Amino acid sequence: MKLKKLAALILALAMVLSLAACGGSSSGGTTTGDSSTASGSDGYTTSSLTVNIWDTNQQAGLQEIADEWTETSGVSVNINVVDWDNYWTLLEAGVSGGDMPDVFWMHSNTSQMYMENGVLLNLDDYIAADDDIDLSNYYDGIVELYSSDGSQYAVPKDHDTIALLYNKAIFDEYGIDCPTDDWSWDDVLAAATAITEAGADDGVYGFAMNTSNNQDGWYNLVYGYGGEVITEDHKDTTIDSDEAKAGMEMMRQILEVSVDQTTVAETGTDSLFMSGKVAMITQGSWMVYSFYTAENSADYYWAEIPYCDANGNGTCDDGERVSSYNGLGWTASYNTSDPQAAYDLISWFCNYDNQVKQAELGVTMAGYVGADEAFSTAFGDMDVSAFLKVEEDGTLFFRPYTRNTTVWEDALQQTGAFLDAWLDPSDPDLMSQACDNAATIIRDAIAAE
Amino acid sequence: MKEKKGMTKAEKNTAAWAYLFIAPTMIGLLVLNFYPIFNTIYQAFCKTGDFGLGNTFVGLANFQSLTVGANASEFWQSLLNTVKYAIIEVPFSVAISLVLAVFLNRKKMHGVTVYRTIFFLPMVCAPAAVAMVWKWLYNQQFGLINNLFGVNIAWISDPKIAWISIGIIGVWSIIGYNMVLFISGLQEIPGDYYEAAEIDGATGIRQFFSITVPLLSPTTFFIVQTRIIGALTVFDLMFMVMDKTNQALPQVQSVVYVFYTYAFTNGNKGMGAAVVCLLLIFIMIITAILQSCEKKFVFYN
Repeated sequence: MKLKKLAALILALAMVLSLAACGGSSSGGTTTGDSSTASGSDGYTTSSLTVNIWDTNQQAGLQEIADEWTETSGVSVNINVVDWDNYWTLLEAGVSGGDMPDVFWMHSNTSQMYMENGVLLNLDDYIAADDDIDLSNYYDGIVELYSSDGSQYAVPKDHDTIALLYNKAIFDEYGIDCPTDDWSWDDVLAAATAITEAGADDGVYGFAMNTSNNQDGWYNLVYGYGGEVITEDHKDTTIDSDEAKAGMEMMRQILEVSVDQTTVAETGTDSLFMSGKVAMITQGSWMVYSFYTAENSADYYWAEIPYCDANGNGTCDDGERVSSYNGLGWTASYNTSDPQAAYDLISWFCNYDNQVKQAELGVTMAGYVGADEAFSTAFGDMDVSAFLKVEEDGTLFFRPYTRNTTVWEDALQQTGAFLDAWLDPSDPDLMSQACDNAATIIRDAIAAE
Repeated sequence: MKEKKGMTKAEKNTAAWAYLFIAPTMIGLLVLNFYPIFNTIYQAFCKTGDFGLGNTFVGLANFQSLTVGANASEFWQSLLNTVKYAIIEVPFSVAISLVLAVFLNRKKMHGVTVYRTIFFLPMVCAPAAVAMVWKWLYNQQFGLINNLFGVNIAWISDPKIAWISIGIIGVWSIIGYNMVLFISGLQEIPGDYYEAAEIDGATGIRQFFSITVPLLSPTTFFIVQTRIIGALTVFDLMFMVMDKTNQALPQVQSVVYVFYTYAFTNGNKGMGAAVVCLLLIFIMIITAILQSCEKKFVFYN
């Protein structure tokens, strides 16, 4: 009998507790706060903003910057991370359903579509009234990317470049010279061949790349040899030109001595590199953090992205070293409950001081020109200056995009496009044919936009 | 013969209450099921604008593209893949779970409930988690299966065997559910038949085929029918296990996977809607065939 009473008491207690917990969490929701909770000195009507991003590595740093804003504004900021693939599905569903995050990242793949449909907040008036933001201070390509019909819909958050990442331990083990900033892709090919041959018994390869490594991979070869995945007016492609084919031919030769596609599709180039199976990969500056925090990070070194020796004279001429670059933008939803608060948060993230801080914290390189010197030393002993050097002695090209980039980008990764050539890199005709197929795919996709 | 008259006041009152009580379910069905179904069918005839807004009527263009046009090879291949998946999943999961159910239905065995729980466990795991675990088991470089048996097989990226590997996951995760249904069916069979058979000297195997299988046929039919529909709408396994750049994907991706690609990855809702409409028609045909077979194969005593 006593036991029963005790049990009943515990149950009742548990119920009360869970009810209290429910009450607590609902008051922390993201709905528009009533006037009593809006304690901000700037007269914000909301007490909190939701922010969506897709990169876990940046969450802590951005939250730190956002918290400083909360101290002055009194508006709390909740940063949610949704992984890249689901981010867009979720955001699109949010647009259809009218429930978007207040502030979020925008990307070149989709920005045109979002801007043209008026689902992003027009920032023109806010920027004009704001002393902290002058768009001429940011990378032109990124500013242009996020403007449509003369209006600005996002402020550049960052920019990124590409570099060559290598595992010094593997080079030392097989007695091969480490990559330098003066390497061409021919040098990469030679080293990759040597390592793959020497490491055959250990299952170690010189290089790894798959078709989805485009921005940090084969795009750079296409542009370096003088082709264009998407022409500058975003209406056509020259991926079937002789120049682009020369770039993909170099890619093919490297692939011949690289990890085969079946393995890459299952394990991923990053994991293969980190498990010491691959000596070299190309990577974007947004990925530094995960290599910096990896187990054997002391063995990892960055070199400038190799140049494309298109004329074969053995030196890096003008325009032969290229790196793709892209930049995210901070943008706000058109129906955010408090547009002023949303904009002020964007302005806070993008002003000079916090762009410097973002680089210092190693979150990413800045979208503000000249604010990311601190990035090269943000990772302790790991020297990442290769990402900055390429901007001085190389040419940057903007990551190719059209109105609906994902359609052709996905198609290029599959059978009927580059995947066939990736599976059988020994056949030069297959790669050349793949370039022709890719051109058809891109042109059809643009025509359907 | 009774003549139909208007309802009395009491009858009307009863009817009103009846409607009130089924209202929550009916409203839910109308809003959450019927409206989306008809909207999907409508969208299949449209080219959908950005964010699923602004439909432009294009007639049969989507269906034409899928059956004979630009997307035909991808669509028919995916339908073939789905059927291949069903051919693995349905017969194997039914056969294995039937045998398991017969064993676990025996009262003499020790720890019956423990075994039942073990076999049912995959059913209560999140499908995504199941798929992730299998993905690592199958991994060519570091996977447990390859390392344990000292082989080097690309389980999920060799187009020739990837569809079988996926099918195995499907069988594994559904066995428990089928088994529970079979056990409940087995318990309906009166023990007298077995006693009589034993006296006549029938072996266990003979009993299984002459008593258990025929008398279990209503349950078997139900399981086969629901599993075929389930297998034809498979998506999560392929989506979780296979990477986008996996070269085996075209030979493995199911119809629903193709739907997902069109509707969500490429943002082409109209084309996606057309894909599921064709799948609906296909499932209806299969179900009609099954229903007509029911009388031949199923014994209701």
